[in-house]
Amino acid sequence: MPTSAGTSRPRPFVFPEYCKGCGRCIDACNKDCLTEGTEINPLTGLVPIQLHLENCNGCGLCIAACPEPFGLQPEPGDDFELTDPEKLFGARAHTAHVPVAIADRKVTLPKMEPLVVKGTYASAIGALLAGCRHVYGYPITPSTEGAELMAKLLPKLDGVFLQAVSEVATVNIMYGASGAGLPCMTFTSSPGFSLMLEGVSYMIGAELPGVFVNIMRGGPGLGNIAPEQADIKLACRGLGHGNTQALVLAPATPQEMLDLTMLSFELSFKYRNPVVILGDGYLGQCTGKVALPEHMVVPGLPEWAVWGDAAHRANVVCSIVLQETDLEAHNEHLNRKYAAMTANEQRSVQFECEDADTLIIACNTPAQIAKGAVRALRQQGVKAGLFRPVTLWPFPIDALRTLLPHTRRIVVVEGSPGQLEDELRLALSHANITPPTIDHVRHMGGVLPQLGEIVSRVLEPRAQEVR
Amino acid sequence: MSGSTFGSPTFYSRFERHAHGEGLKGHATHYCAGCGHGLVHKYLAEAIDELGIQDRTVAVSPVGCSVFMYYYLDVGNTQAAHGRAPAVAIGHKTANPDSIVISYQGDGDLASIGLAEVVSTAQLGIPISFIFVNNAIYGMTGGQLAPTTLMGQKSSTSPTGRNTFMGQPLKMAELIAGLDGPVYVERVALYDSKQRVKAKKAIKKALELQVKGIGLSFVEVLSECPTHLGMTPEEAEKWVDSSMTKVFPLGLKKDVTADGAHFPTLPKPTFDTGHLLSVIDAKAEPPHRFAEGFPTHLDPADVSLKLAGAGGDGAQTIALMLTKAAIAEGFDSTYIPSYGPESRGGTSYADVHIASDEVLSPAAPDPHVLLAFNQPSLTKFAPHVRPGGVVLYDTTIVHDVPAVAAGVRVVGVPFTAIARDLGKPMVKNVVALGALQAATGLFPAETLLETLRTALATRAALIPLNEEAFRWGAKAAAEAP
Repeated sequence: MPTSAGTSRPRPFVFPEYCKGCGRCIDACNKDCLTEGTEINPLTGLVPIQLHLENCNGCGLCIAACPEPFGLQPEPGDDFELTDPEKLFGARAHTAHVPVAIADRKVTLPKMEPLVVKGTYASAIGALLAGCRHVYGYPITPSTEGAELMAKLLPKLDGVFLQAVSEVATVNIMYGASGAGLPCMTFTSSPGFSLMLEGVSYMIGAELPGVFVNIMRGGPGLGNIAPEQADIKLACRGLGHGNTQALVLAPATPQEMLDLTMLSFELSFKYRNPVVILGDGYLGQCTGKVALPEHMVVPGLPEWAVWGDAAHRANVVCSIVLQETDLEAHNEHLNRKYAAMTANEQRSVQFECEDADTLIIACNTPAQIAKGAVRALRQQGVKAGLFRPVTLWPFPIDALRTLLPHTRRIVVVEGSPGQLEDELRLALSHANITPPTIDHVRHMGGVLPQLGEIVSRVLEPRAQEVR
Repeated sequence: MSGSTFGSPTFYSRFERHAHGEGLKGHATHYCAGCGHGLVHKYLAEAIDELGIQDRTVAVSPVGCSVFMYYYLDVGNTQAAHGRAPAVAIGHKTANPDSIVISYQGDGDLASIGLAEVVSTAQLGIPISFIFVNNAIYGMTGGQLAPTTLMGQKSSTSPTGRNTFMGQPLKMAELIAGLDGPVYVERVALYDSKQRVKAKKAIKKALELQVKGIGLSFVEVLSECPTHLGMTPEEAEKWVDSSMTKVFPLGLKKDVTADGAHFPTLPKPTFDTGHLLSVIDAKAEPPHRFAEGFPTHLDPADVSLKLAGAGGDGAQTIALMLTKAAIAEGFDSTYIPSYGPESRGGTSYADVHIASDEVLSPAAPDPHVLLAFNQPSLTKFAPHVRPGGVVLYDTTIVHDVPAVAAGVRVVGVPFTAIARDLGKPMVKNVVALGALQAATGLFPAETLLETLRTALATRAALIPLNEEAFRWGAKAAAEAP
């Protein structure tokens, strides 16, 4: 190939099919070497520019003006064939390694005395024990103590607590840290959780782990800061737009705040999906005895991480899937994950259920209150039991199903307008189970059901029975 | 010739993510002819090559026309929600401080929906490189009004031209340069060769400042959108030159890189077992026990207490101590606070349960023991104390004792006066704790004193005074009528 006289600088070269004919190169050239084309390229339907390189001095300004990565190029040398672009653009020697997952490490802890901490603290400590060193959040009562403890402890562990500009920013910072492959979490409360949901949908779409501790408060709107359970619908049925589901765990004691937070990180990475912990305002603020686990976790690094090194360079985190058939396939993949969660992760706790003819179903603090009611009822000779879902999604229908043959009546006890009962009824319906009579004790606005009224409801004959 | 070096090696050799890399899409961008994004991508790729940071780079694609930047740049890629690229960038940078993070955004993304994120991140100053492509219009959604649209400029949502009712165009480079966080802010353009050279230099500098750990950079690039301006690429270049630069003057807006300052080193986590246990204040040593057994004289299995006063009375502190003491004695216990909305001076109630086996309901609507610091608390809660229970109140400030259930013992102790006599009004809650111990016999005094000492371990000088307060309270309760 000829090169420009008097200089070793290569002259421009372009494959017509990679030129969109924008002409930005034309003005860039002082030697009038480029002109607008006159012929439509049959492959692109566009009109590529034309080169007249008689006066070219290889200044390269036209190349710098071309917006296309494979548009104007310096001539590659003598040994290429203009007719074979595929060869020219063949795969580069790839410098990126194939990423290999680094597994988490479990480290045994010595036997320690139980801590005496509030629920939000227990959750924060559970996160630290699970290997989380990246916590982002925005203050909101009654969840803020979790963030405050993290702000105090994480610097001592060379971790990061960052107070974001909003809950919207929080969830997107999590998207980044989680996309880098690290365990991360936030503490929030109902209005804040609402704000995070777009980001949760993105995380689910992009298959990113992350733990959201929502200490539910009274709603709707600004509501109040008292304990409610009215985000069950949001967490189980409304995690932002699109086909979204996430495991939803409902601790009932400060101890479970720690245990289930630790579990959440494990499940979140197992399924590459966010996990939601729903606590109530009482549980977040409630101080109690919290035993430490037998091990802590040193996190590894998953193979899919966008870590910012050679091994992970080929990875991408994104939730956009442009082609309809691809997006349908992606959703089918997500559905298989949801099905696996439904099959494998149902969790529940039973109390006096073996022979119960009346099952109380409750979660969070109301479940503790209901447990007291079961005790009181048993003392009166009533065969009552407590079935406590620990996963609200998936609802633990498999365990409940085994109890139904001897159950005459279910009483759902909740601090919400029936959102737990809706989950129960949906699960029963999907399982084709005709339920026994379902009654309820409900409160809203931060009023929790009390032991006495649960006992009364169980004892009162049902209207139908009276008739 | 395989392994060609055609194009920057920071571009994928085939754009597999662009419609599966089929046909021409494997080597052509999705951008319209003459769009400035391609140039900015190219200068980024070249700067990454020149700095040798391809393996360390994480590029955050925004929402907008450049949403598909991850089709092209062969670096670690992530794609953010609309406006949130800076937040995602913070996540990556804090997760791996060694990564080189690029937050790439258009004007709708950065200057409209993402204002909070860009301003707060810029002020944070964490080493991230911002590339802001300003073409004065929404591209991907089809040519709507952008925060940067010029006055009089027509768009599909300003069909007769932008007017003052739509606000003035937002000058982001100036706004960001006005913040303390960034170290380098410059506005460049792409409309001629000279500007393109400056643009490339600025983009490289923005990355270099991150590589050196100096700080956060912000480069605004005035760019052409021929399609939605309804112009040829050449006309669009001229329009940027003649119209846009009038509103958005080119040049350096801030550069404090010469002062030698670096952003503080970002931490890398540690996972030492002993250190973690010490940080969370876990103890291997079991606490001393002083109690003979559960205080069954109050309840066979579950004693509940309510401590009520105004914020600042110290009800919460002693409620926590009661729970710690009970757990130290081997029982289960919970403490739950209830505050008014005020930070100081509102109502402040605390419910405590102590159970031989397991606390069920943490609330204490009908407590065995009420400790009231003020009149409203006594009036409100005393009638609910269980028969056989105990009501304690501060006789210094409370004068009306309401009717209580049968068999409820009412004990008045001048908490405030005793604390005042001790010269430290703040210890009135410890006076009250001592009184509670003596009046109820919940636990031996030593149980609570030990908890008190543990709580004050880091402020040991305060222990004698607090012990004295406790004992005066106990004495006064024992002698109370």
